[in-house]
Parts: sequence; structure tokens; C-alpha cells
Amino acid sequence: MKRGVLASLVLALAAPAALAAQDTTARPGGVRVGITYVPGTRSSIAILGAAGAAVDSVRTILQRDLDYSDRFEVVVPPASVLVPGTAPDYRVLTALGADLAVAVVPAPDPRGRGVEIQLHDVRSGSVRNRLDLSLPSAGAGGEAFRQAVHRAADEVVRWATGSPGVASTSILYVDNGKLWRVDPDGLGRAPVPSTGSPALSPTWSPDGHTIAYTALVRSGTPIVLQDLAGGRRDVVPGTEYGVNITPEFSPDGRKLAFAHGTEDGTDVYLYDVARRCCVTRVTVGRYSDNLSPTWSPDGQRLAFVSSRAGQPQLYVMAADGSSQEVLAPFDYGSTGQSNGPEWSPDGQSVAFHREVRGIPQVFVVDVASRVVRQITGAGRNEDATWAPDGRHLAFVSSRSGVRQLWIVDLETGRMRPIVTTGGARLPAWSPRHASLEAG
Amino acid sequence: MTAKNLFSVGALALVVTAGCSRNPPPPAAAPQAQGAADSAAARAAAARRDSLAAQARADSLARANLEQSRADSVRAEIQRQGADTGSVAVSPGLAPAEASELADAIHFDYNRADLRPADQAKLDRKFQLLQAHPRLEIQIAGNCDERGSVEYNLALGERRAAAAKRYLVAHGIATSRISVVSYGEERPADPGHSEESWARNRRDDFVATRGAN
Repeated sequence: MKRGVLASLVLALAAPAALAAQDTTARPGGVRVGITYVPGTRSSIAILGAAGAAVDSVRTILQRDLDYSDRFEVVVPPASVLVPGTAPDYRVLTALGADLAVAVVPAPDPRGRGVEIQLHDVRSGSVRNRLDLSLPSAGAGGEAFRQAVHRAADEVVRWATGSPGVASTSILYVDNGKLWRVDPDGLGRAPVPSTGSPALSPTWSPDGHTIAYTALVRSGTPIVLQDLAGGRRDVVPGTEYGVNITPEFSPDGRKLAFAHGTEDGTDVYLYDVARRCCVTRVTVGRYSDNLSPTWSPDGQRLAFVSSRAGQPQLYVMAADGSSQEVLAPFDYGSTGQSNGPEWSPDGQSVAFHREVRGIPQVFVVDVASRVVRQITGAGRNEDATWAPDGRHLAFVSSRSGVRQLWIVDLETGRMRPIVTTGGARLPAWSPRHASLEAG
Repeated sequence: MTAKNLFSVGALALVVTAGCSRNPPPPAAAPQAQGAADSAAARAAAARRDSLAAQARADSLARANLEQSRADSVRAEIQRQGADTGSVAVSPGLAPAEASELADAIHFDYNRADLRPADQAKLDRKFQLLQAHPRLEIQIAGNCDERGSVEYNLALGERRAAAAKRYLVAHGIATSRISVVSYGEERPADPGHSEESWARNRRDDFVATRGAN
């Protein structure tokens, strides 16, 4: 029974919605680009919470996380549906159209700091999963408290859909030359200590413990490896000279691909992080630029940007530099320049931005078919980065009039701003389980 | 000054640095003097080779030293936490008019890194300044407009700076006297978003980094 419900739920979620993203801020009229919102394919989830301060705080965060997962229609029924100590009223939940219900109840903890989170299957009228959440003693608005609830929310998403949510991840970005991080719900914004000089192009190691970025110091543009917890910093050897940009760790974390520019042009190089030595050159593009390498999840291929045909466009090659070919098809002389590629966690697509009539827009190219799909259409949109769930992208958009970070869900097309300070750029979405110590 | 004029100045400079020892070619109609002239020419050529080799060695040594000290300062700089407030003390020993001629920026077409013919006169003047002040060292900073990605513009800026450096080096300035840096789109000369602003921002800036006379 439970199996059957889960199977149909997964099936419903996996139903191929032939859609591009919906730009929810676009005004009616004018050209809307590839936008088809298909409602009704998501299950409906009710959020229940008994009275009490801790429960309220947990429920509020949980509700937002489940909403932002974009996998459910979130329903908030009246408080009377959940009477403490008894099962929820499944008839009312059914009448509200809820397929699932999450209940937050005080855990039988004498000190009263824990809550229990339950996932109810409304149709069968039973509890499917439960989880004891012991809350940090720090205040309900504190970072540790919020992260604990985010982790619980990701687990609820996993119970309901088979794959965890991304609420407990973090997005690194640059604002006015400084490194910052922010949670995907837009809270927890905090500076990340870096060199005193402007930073560019931050990226995460796969284990989430190290970041790499370009530092625009006075005497050069080295690539810096920085331990997030301890703050230890090293220069990638050889990057003391020339222009050194767009670092990205290989999926096994053992190599760092980056671009090194000399007076003869810019090429892709690999640094052996594991052995802390040995920089090898991957591309040879005399007087052209080859940059922004991004790894396929199996570590076998690199997508990258090259200006070999004049305008920068997207190419792909084997990780040893062989078999180079165009990745995102373009018309010579008419297609705008393409930049900022990032390979999706599922390996199927590469997100990038391409100029359309001089304005950058976010695109996704399907790696197998080479079909290119435009995701955005309003304002300038660039520097897309994948969430670990492979369905959300964070990107920089000027659609509101200032440069902010936005998140789009590629399945539903929903868009929302997360950083609204007006100078954010170059976001890098963390892997799961990143070091989230506030800096 | 035209490019052709510059070429002759460059050739002259090469002769001067080679030790002023090159004789005019002997007249063809003087067979009895041919042997003596030949050996004189050979001696001169050898002297010139030695002198060039010595200069190349000195250049490469200077470059190695420069690179080492640059690498050291890069490693020191990334350890700093605070804001970068330091400034380089420069006393280039240039007259004010010369200083502004040195600083005169050159400009580029969209997504291009090749020198505009119209800018050659400006580069020729910088070449003369570098000739006139042998201890002057400069940095060429390549800049871009805000279109294109931040990172691509860093690469493009490097090529723009390198194009100007190649021109000066091709005409005889020692490569160790010219460093290049790219600021991409990070340091616009004009904060606007119009075609005119972009045109002003696609440029090479020239600054003296050393060279008190």
C-alpha cells in the first residue's frame, strides 16, 4: 500500500513536464520565452503544528523549505486539525486535497527543546516516517537552529520524493569584491573571510570543505585555495603569473581545472590538488581564449568557453584535451557570445548564459541532443549555478532593476529572489553537507 | 609620427644598444678592400651577437628576479585580511607633459584585442618616452566594457594589454620593462551603460611602475 502510494507519487513527480521556466515577474504581453507551467503534477502536502514557541519556529522554517523545494503544493490547514496527543483529522486533510501531511509535535523530551517531525500518508491514514529533532539551545533565529531544521526539511523531501531537498545547502557569491554566503531561503547571509583584495569566481570542493577563487591582488591574479573552517589559504602553483580565472574542482576533488592567461592567450590547465603539484595544460589556443572549464559528473569530460571562432562559445572535450567539439550550437556571426557554463549534477545538461540582442540570458543545453533551451527573458540574466538536486538554478538577474541573486525551478518555472542587496554576482551553489560554519 | 618613422627609431635604438659598432656596408666597387671589409663586418657581427646575447641574459635574469619577487608578493598578499589600501610609490622622473602622454589610454573595438591604426601615434610616443628614460618601467592594464562575462573579460583584457606590449617590444623595448595586467570589466573609466561609455572602457591604461631618473 505504502509502496504503491510512493510509486505513484514518484511517477507523478517524474512526469515529463515539457516546460521551460516560467518567469513569474514578467509582465503580460511581449515575448515570453519557452514558458509552459503545468500545474497539478505535484502532490499536496499539509503542514501541521501543535502550539508552542519551538514548534512554531520549526514549522515556519519547515513550511518555507517545503514550499521552496517546489515539489509540493503546500497547504496550511486550521490549527484544529491537529489535537496534541492524537492522530490528525485525516478526513479534513483529505477534504483539503492533501496527499501528505507533516506534523511538528513536541517530542517527549523533559527539557522541552526537542520536537518530533512526522510524515503522514493521508490516504492510508498512517504515519510513514518520523524523526526526532533536538534543537540547539541557541535562539530560534540562530544559524545552528535554522540549519538543523533545514536538514530535517531535506529529509522530509527525501521521504516524500526519494531524493533529498537542498534547504541545508549554501550559495557562495561575490558582492562588491567580497565573498558572501547565503542560504537558499535568502536568510543566513554572512561574509566569508577572504584575502583583502577583490575576489572573483568562487567555487566549492565536492566535500564542501574547501573553496577556490581568483584574488585580484595588486601584484597578480592568483587562484587561492581556502580551507573554509580553518581559513588556511594557498596559491595554486604557477598562478602567481598572468591571469588565472574560473577554477572548478573535479567531481572526485583531486584535480582543479582553471584557466591561465598569458600574453599569448588563455588556456585550460589542471592542477593536481591531491598531490599538491603538477600543473598540466589541456588546451592550446594560440591568441584565443579558452576558459571556464566545468566537469561532467563522471570526471571524463570538460565543457569550456573558447573564443576560437571569434565570439566566445561553448565547447566540450575529453578531460585530457582530446575530442574537442562545439557543445551549444551557434550560427557564426549572428549568435551572441556564450559564457559561464556549469555542468548539471545529473550530467544531462549544461547551464550557461548567451547574449540575445546584446543582453545575457540563461540557457540550458542538453548534452546528448545538443538542443538549447532559453530559460530567462526579462532583464539581464547570467552566471547560473546548479543546486545539488539538479532542478534548481541560482543566477544573477537585473529583472528587478538592480543586480540580485534569483533561483529558478526548472520543473515548475517558479522564480524567486534570494539576495536583494543589489551587487551580487558569480554565485556558486554548494554541494550537500558543505561546511556551514558562519564566517 | 608614423609607424614607418618609429621603425627607423627602433632600428637606431637597436644599433645604439648593440654598441654603435656597425659600419656602413662597403662600396661594392672596391674588390681589393673586400677581404678587410669582410673581416671587419664579421668582427662587428660577432660583437653584436655577443652584446645581444649579454642583453638577453640580463633581460632573462631581470625577468626571473621580477617574477620571483612578484610570486613572493602574491603569496604575501593573499594572506592579508584587511582592505587593500597600499599604494605603489612611483617617481617616474617624467615631466608633467610626458607623464600625461604616457598615461594617454588607447582603445579597442568590441571583443577585439588588435591595435587600432589611429592609436599607433600614441604608442609611438610611449616608445619614445621609454627610450628617453631608460630606467622607466611601465605596467599596461587591459580593460573591457561590461558586456560578456566577468571572466572572459579578464582574459580579453590580458590580450589587449599584451597587444600594446608586443608593439613596444617589437620596436626594441626590453620585455622586462613592461608588465601587463588585466582588470577585465572591474575598473571602468566611465560608469555609464551606453555605447559611448563602453567605447571609453575598452582600453589599455599605462602607468609608470619604476624609473626615477
